[in-house]
Amino acid sequence: MNWSTGVRTALAFFILVVLHYTLRPVLGWRAEPDFLLIALLLVAIRIRPGSAAVLGLVLGLFADSVNLQAFGSAALAMSVVAFSASWLKAVFFADNMALNAFFFFAGKWLFNAMYLLAERRLGGGELVMQILVWSSLSAAITAIAGLASLLILRPILRTSLT
Amino acid sequence: MALSVLARALPERMRDPLAASLRQSLVAPLVALQHDAELTRRAWLARDEVTLARDSATLRAMLTPVLQRENGELRQLLGMAQRLRWGFVPAEVLHGRNAGEDYTVMLSAGSRAGVQPFSPVVGNEGLVGMVKTVDPTMSIAIFSSHPDFRVSAMAADGSAFGIVAAHLGTGADRYLLELRGVPVRSSLKAGTVVWSSGFGGVYPRGIPIGTVIGEDRKPAEGWARTYLLRPAVVPASVDAVMILRRDQRPEGVEGVWVAPQSVDSAAKRIAGAVDSASRTSAPVLTTARRDSVPRRRKAAPVRPDTAVIRPDSALRRDSIRADTAQPAPP
Repeated sequence: MNWSTGVRTALAFFILVVLHYTLRPVLGWRAEPDFLLIALLLVAIRIRPGSAAVLGLVLGLFADSVNLQAFGSAALAMSVVAFSASWLKAVFFADNMALNAFFFFAGKWLFNAMYLLAERRLGGGELVMQILVWSSLSAAITAIAGLASLLILRPILRTSLT
Repeated sequence: MALSVLARALPERMRDPLAASLRQSLVAPLVALQHDAELTRRAWLARDEVTLARDSATLRAMLTPVLQRENGELRQLLGMAQRLRWGFVPAEVLHGRNAGEDYTVMLSAGSRAGVQPFSPVVGNEGLVGMVKTVDPTMSIAIFSSHPDFRVSAMAADGSAFGIVAAHLGTGADRYLLELRGVPVRSSLKAGTVVWSSGFGGVYPRGIPIGTVIGEDRKPAEGWARTYLLRPAVVPASVDAVMILRRDQRPEGVEGVWVAPQSVDSAAKRIAGAVDSASRTSAPVLTTARRDSVPRRRKAAPVRPDTAVIRPDSALRRDSIRADTAQPAPP
């Protein structure tokens, strides 16, 4: 990643992080898009797995700092998701809309599942319900939001979706 | 990844300073953004409601109760502030909507406003929770349904004492509470309001916690009863709260929330007073009414050719002047 690409990616990352703390509360949906994860995935596929994991850790700690009950859960989940995304970037590097949507969906679903398991708060039927229903719904909305973000940020990221 | 596992395994005393340093530095502007976004959303929703109400009389009629309820809640909170008079910090609630944020909440007041850890958080209907950590401009509170939450409690009439903790139910029962350790000899009926007892030094006496739904029969408990409580405040619906300062504790907050029993007895007293007043005045009124009939009859000129008295008439004959009354034709 050259200097110019790095700056553009950082700008897109910053915009998505700001969106996470501004647009998401405004929407106020029960299953919400996770712009933090979209930002993480967008950057993760452009850097090495180790760096991606560190970025996931930092972003996760940001998210955890306001949720003492599950401190570390988001950091762990984001590290794993970012590392996996970076490692699998060869698969998803094609600028294909469906692939990108699946990429965001899988990333968010994996994040939620890992978070809920690491948090160790829920169990039994409620855990299954959260993972299968709410996490899937949230992942679907995140996938849609991710595609929309890609389309809007296309001038910055210089990607072409087919 | 090892670092993230380490962060997950950190003990609370090391985790809190780390989280606090993050909140006060890098995350602070983001939290401020989130706060502003929440306020924007509320303003937007309120604007929508007002616009709709203006647009359609029907919709206005439908939405008026919503606005009235919101106004009522704010008025109640203002009324509570007047009753508390001092020793509280008002704060707005910023609900987290992520998984795992059901039991914690951010409050828009911190140590600069006088908030300290372990300060009780109350709403206009009762106890909401307790402040867990405090930053200069914000604080994080746990709801009464949090697994770590405990408060010493008692029945309104002081007949039973116990400890209230989260029931940790699932689904619709997730916010229910338990009153534990109530002696077997103390029996509480459904509908009994449970208050903070003031023991323990954290919560002042006299904050409503919840209402007894019924007894939770657990076979392991031999000499104690556990009661299920419906919380006085549903955490998900709280938007504005008061944080009680520490110096408020010795004074207590009795009388700030009116006990339902007091309301009932007051209502009964009023009803009784009205009844007795009615009973006292009833004979006088009856006499006055009876006397007024002939007076009205006397006052109203009756034409001889139109005044007719039927044999079955309920009117008293002695109240009709003989010279104006004629017998009814057969």
